[in-house]
Amino acid sequence: MKNTSVGQAEDLEFSVENGRARVRLHGTVSVYSPQAGKALVAQLAGRWPEIKRLEIDLSDVKHYDSYLSVLVGTLRDSTDQHNVELDLQGVSPTMRRFLDLLQRPADEAPRARVSAFRRRVETIGKSAGASFEEWRAFVAFFGEITIKGLALLRRPGDFRWKDLPFLFARAGVSAVPIVTLIGFLVGMIIGYQGALQLKQFGADVYLANLTGISITRELGPLMTAIIVAGRSGASYAAEIGTMKVSDELDALHSLGFDVTPYLVLPRIAAVVLVVPVLTLMADFAGVIGGLLAGEFTLELSSTVYLTQLKKALTFAHVFTGLFKSLAFGFLIAAVGCFKGMQVYGGAESVGKVTTSAVVTAIFLIILSDAVFAFIFEALNI
Amino acid sequence: MSEVPLIEVRNLSVRFGDLQVLHDVSFRVNRGERFVILGGSGSGKSTLMRCIVGLLEPTSGTVLIEGEDFTKANRAARLRILRKFGVLFQSSGLFASMTLAENIALPLETYTSLDTPEIRSLIDVKLASVGLSGYAGFLPSEISGGMKKRAGLARAMALDPQILGFDEPSAGLDPVTSAALDTLIIELNEILNTTMLVVTHELDSIFNIAQRVIMLDKSTHGIIAEGSPHELRKHSRDPRVRAFFHRNRS
Repeated sequence: MKNTSVGQAEDLEFSVENGRARVRLHGTVSVYSPQAGKALVAQLAGRWPEIKRLEIDLSDVKHYDSYLSVLVGTLRDSTDQHNVELDLQGVSPTMRRFLDLLQRPADEAPRARVSAFRRRVETIGKSAGASFEEWRAFVAFFGEITIKGLALLRRPGDFRWKDLPFLFARAGVSAVPIVTLIGFLVGMIIGYQGALQLKQFGADVYLANLTGISITRELGPLMTAIIVAGRSGASYAAEIGTMKVSDELDALHSLGFDVTPYLVLPRIAAVVLVVPVLTLMADFAGVIGGLLAGEFTLELSSTVYLTQLKKALTFAHVFTGLFKSLAFGFLIAAVGCFKGMQVYGGAESVGKVTTSAVVTAIFLIILSDAVFAFIFEALNI
Repeated sequence: MSEVPLIEVRNLSVRFGDLQVLHDVSFRVNRGERFVILGGSGSGKSTLMRCIVGLLEPTSGTVLIEGEDFTKANRAARLRILRKFGVLFQSSGLFASMTLAENIALPLETYTSLDTPEIRSLIDVKLASVGLSGYAGFLPSEISGGMKKRAGLARAMALDPQILGFDEPSAGLDPVTSAALDTLIIELNEILNTTMLVVTHELDSIFNIAQRVIMLDKSTHGIIAEGSPHELRKHSRDPRVRAFFHRNRS
């Protein structure tokens, strides 16, 4: 029985006769011109049962690259699978060396491949284990900074005092414009929204209570902490992370420096001291924002607003806000430095920990705020 | 008429502000050649390499690739010329967030019409050619420095470029791994006929790899010697060249 067909691609001649498939490739077989190879694989696809022997003549192939190796590999796999004899003809010595080079075994045996499902399950397990490990490491880090912080009382010389002014300026002074602006806007928004409601009950004057207390107790400290987390927390994570990637932390260790009092504690000290000051500024700006909102929407005079504010705002309100901001400052700097230390690998890891530093810090700020609310309530402050 | 050289650099100068790095550098690289640019630290050899592979625009002068001016090429021509190059960077340049397979697949998916199984086979072929079969699913952070270099080379070879550029291939590698990489460079050159353009100051690598070298010097900002490394070591009278090849202070 004779069964003949001719390949579609220009560079391919293909015929099948009495179970003997003959292929002749011409011209170029490359990654940019894979048409002949693709056509050959397509021609062979439905005809394997009738083929006993596959002869491929490569003597007219003028230009080739790695795609030829891929094509030969694919055909070898198919012929093995269908029990067909493969005969490569017209292979020049150079082409032979080329094909051998591209099909050599690995120098080192890789670890066994795992199935996609198993890999997924492993990923879930690994990430659960990793987050547990991370919290454990954070607790250990917390313990370390506490112990080393207390040790500084005995040996204050270990602390890098020289960095403090610079850290204050970076975390504090340069944050003043954005913190006050946000404080002012939040105060104005609260004032405006509150005014609309209070007006309905004729309780205009209580706008001072509303803005004063909500700003000083909650919104001032919270907004400030979130801004500082986005600025200083992220910057500490990226800075320490990059130092770790470029072996600077190892260099500090090998020079006999302890990284905690050298890098971490000055940053924590700077942020802890700076956040309450920034909070106070945000409080002030927020109250002014409320005053302006009152004047514009309720025509509440500033004298009335300030007199009422003096009556409503106690030291406890301001104090609780500032006390919380101390804790927020600690959390922001500690999380930022801790995350920086967790960097592993390269640039991608620095990006990840920086994001994580901000998200974790904001989460801990809100969580601790809830705890503080509960404690202050219990203490009747 | 003589054959058009694969790479021709004509009167190339590079200046960063007041700092003159290269001045009036001209040379040719022939097809299939293993060509090494050498010189001491700060002599401008990496800068020259960056100009040739199109990463840096020279202050003046031209770079011709197969007679086509790279420096004045429009976007389409530039892309076409860039495909003639594969570059292995000093710290491998592998994308850390991608597996080795994804690193190699990126140019194949972008510039060819190959389908997924073909790309997968090609990845296996490329990894096999650098001795990394079976490492397709690994992230760059999971393999050693020498393996990263080889994986970087596999990606540089993804599109079977005519020219492979190596910036300090031995940097950060132990002598055994470094010698193995040199052997691989020679093998790929002999079998694939790929033109190898290597920037290095490692004497062992220079003698292993180079068929022809040019030596740059930071005092003249240009080429002070050209030829085979063995000839230069034996016959050069320039004290700077002798110092380099004999590891002396000039």
